[in-house]
Order: sequence, then structure tokens, then C-alpha cells
Amino acid sequence: MAGPVAAAALAVTLVMGSCQKREPAPSRAQVRTPAAQPADAPAVLAAVQAPGAKATVLNVWATWCEPCREEFPDLVRLGHEYSNRGVRLVLVSGDFDTEKAAVDKFLADQGVDFATYIKSGDDMKFINSLNPKWSGALPATFVYDGQGRLRDFWEGKASYEKMEERLLRVLQARGAADSTEART
Amino acid sequence: MIRRSLSMLGLAVFALAGAGAAHAEDAAAPTALAIGSPMPSADVKMKNVDGKEFTLAELAGKKGTLVVFSCNACPWAKKWESRITTLGNGFAKKGVGVVVINSNDPGVNPEDRYDVMVTRSQKLKMKFPYVVDATSDVARAFGATRTPEAFLFDADGKLVYHGTIDDNANDPKQVKERYLEAALTSVSSGKPVATAETKSMGCGIKFRKSSS
Repeated sequence: MAGPVAAAALAVTLVMGSCQKREPAPSRAQVRTPAAQPADAPAVLAAVQAPGAKATVLNVWATWCEPCREEFPDLVRLGHEYSNRGVRLVLVSGDFDTEKAAVDKFLADQGVDFATYIKSGDDMKFINSLNPKWSGALPATFVYDGQGRLRDFWEGKASYEKMEERLLRVLQARGAADSTEART
Repeated sequence: MIRRSLSMLGLAVFALAGAGAAHAEDAAAPTALAIGSPMPSADVKMKNVDGKEFTLAELAGKKGTLVVFSCNACPWAKKWESRITTLGNGFAKKGVGVVVINSNDPGVNPEDRYDVMVTRSQKLKMKFPYVVDATSDVARAFGATRTPEAFLFDADGKLVYHGTIDDNANDPKQVKERYLEAALTSVSSGKPVATAETKSMGCGIKFRKSSS
């Protein structure tokens, strides 16, 4: 019966996880926003694949991109609410480097309190390094598992519910894999 | 019993992992027109900035046809608009049909309105049509996702180049690869295009609700 019990426990854990008290986003007055750092694709992938996360959400956005700005608060909230479950949020601005002041202001306005990046280097290399299926349109969101493998990707704006659902699928796959490893 | 249960769990894990992988496939970017494809939506009438209506079939050139999805509002489109105009005006003289299409819903950004298209084309001195894709269905048929995004067809009407303008939107002086110009040069002289597909970042097309 060990298998079904473990599977049931996993299901309960996931359900409880989605109901438990989550880490609230800090108020904007409390946070200190680090300036976005230039990063090419290898640097972004290094941030994504750094050990320690159970899943990583990478979002490429830009200040002038209306759908990016619209989904941004939900993205930041998702990052905060799942940070205590091992989820890392990596944000990369696709703005031109001449717009860096606007990028940093937007991040501060959104209450971002962790390191973020601004794309540098060749667009095509950057796009294809992250995902050859990415057309280059913004926003673009990528979900990686704990081993840094790309597990999900979409272009365009997403609701909080969609982001959460897609993230949970990756976390669930990891949880199930962990249960198997623990018993083999 | 334990072995059987572990097998069941293993199956469940496999199913979850498989579902994730399949989902990632499903969530990939919309599929753009493949190289070698004929021009889609060639008979759709689109209103030009001079008030006349044209179809892509009517605008096709003897040596090829360049279709660029662009707009007024996108910063990338603004960065590249002078270069697109220079290429369009130059290769139109060489027998390439040239058209820029605005598929954006101006309800999302009023800067993408028709009257702004008119003033923009005049300011840039475009000598080719800048037309409205009033349903965004032409962009859908091409599988276009962003602005600006270029599709170049050869004299036989087959797609031979799809992608970006060059490798540096922000600074024309820093451009190293002039992808579209190279493709236009090849097509207008009847030669094969060396680099058929390129990419850059760009604004997502602000699609109107589907008309179908």
C-alpha cells in the first residue's frame, strides 16, 4: 500500500500547499530594489539553473510592453507566494539599454526586492538559447524544474491562475519524482 | 503488493512527466509560415493609407514580394521603420513588391490608429502601401507574432525568408548582419537566400478577436 499512500500524501500536500498561508509580497515602501544587471543568455541560464530551487519561473518583459506590465504584479505575487516552496523567479527586461532608468523605476514601483536582469547581446542567440520555439514576442514565460530543465513555455500575457496552474504542474511532477526516488 | 504499488506510482510519475512534456509542446509559440510555403490570404482586401484597397496578390512583384508586419506604436517598429522604408523604397524600384501591414487592434494602443498610419507613412516617405489588416486574420494566416516581422516571397510566390530586419534594432551603426537586405538582394537577382530564418525580440501583435 506504500505507493498509493505516498501518492495520496503528495496530493494532500499539494492541496494544503495551495491553501496554506503564503508569504505576502512586501509593501513597496519597505523594499529596496536592486538595479537590473546586464545579462546575456548564458548568464540568464546560469541564474535559472543555479542550485537550490525546486522550480524556476523566468519571465522576459519590457517597460513599454502593455501585456508585460499588466501581468507583472501577478508574476511578482506568484514569486513571493511560492518562494517558501522553493520557487525562484527570474526577471529579464528586454528593453534597450538606453531605457535602463525606466526599467529600474518600474521594478521599484512593482516592489521587486531581488536581483533582476536586462538583456544584453544578440537577440537571436538570446532567444534560441532560451527556447528555439520562442518567436521573440513579449512577454515570454518559461518554467524550469529543479534540475534547470525547461518544462513549460508560453508567449503572451497570463493570468495569475494560469501561471499558478502551470507552475504547480512542474512542482507536482517533481514531487512525484521525489517520492519515487525516496522509495527506490 | 508493495512492488505492485510502486509500479503504479511509477506509472503515475511517468504520466505526470509525460503530461508536462506534452504541455510544453502545446504551449510553444504559434507556428509561422514554413519556408517554401505559398503566400496566404493573398485575396484579402486591405485599406492602404491612400484610402484605396489592395490585396497581396495585387501587390506582388515580378521579382518577389516583401510583406512586413509592423505598426506605429511598438518601440522596435520605431527603431527599424527608417531602415524598413529605405529597403522597401529601394527594392520596389528593382521589381520587388513591398507592403507593410498593421494588424494591431488600435483599441489596445490608440497610436496604432489608421490616421497615425497615414501621417507616419508620409513622414517616412514610404513609396509602398502601408495597409490595415482589419481583422488581424492576415497576421494569423502568416503565423506572425510580433512587430516588425518580415516575410519575403520569391518570384514564384514561395516564402524564402522569414524573420527580422538586422541584428541591432537599437543602433543602426552597430549592425553587423543585414539579414533582410541580403535576402532582398538575393531574391531580386534570382539567387537563393543564404539565411532563410532569423529572429529578434519585438512587440507581440495586438490581435483583434478572431473574425471566424
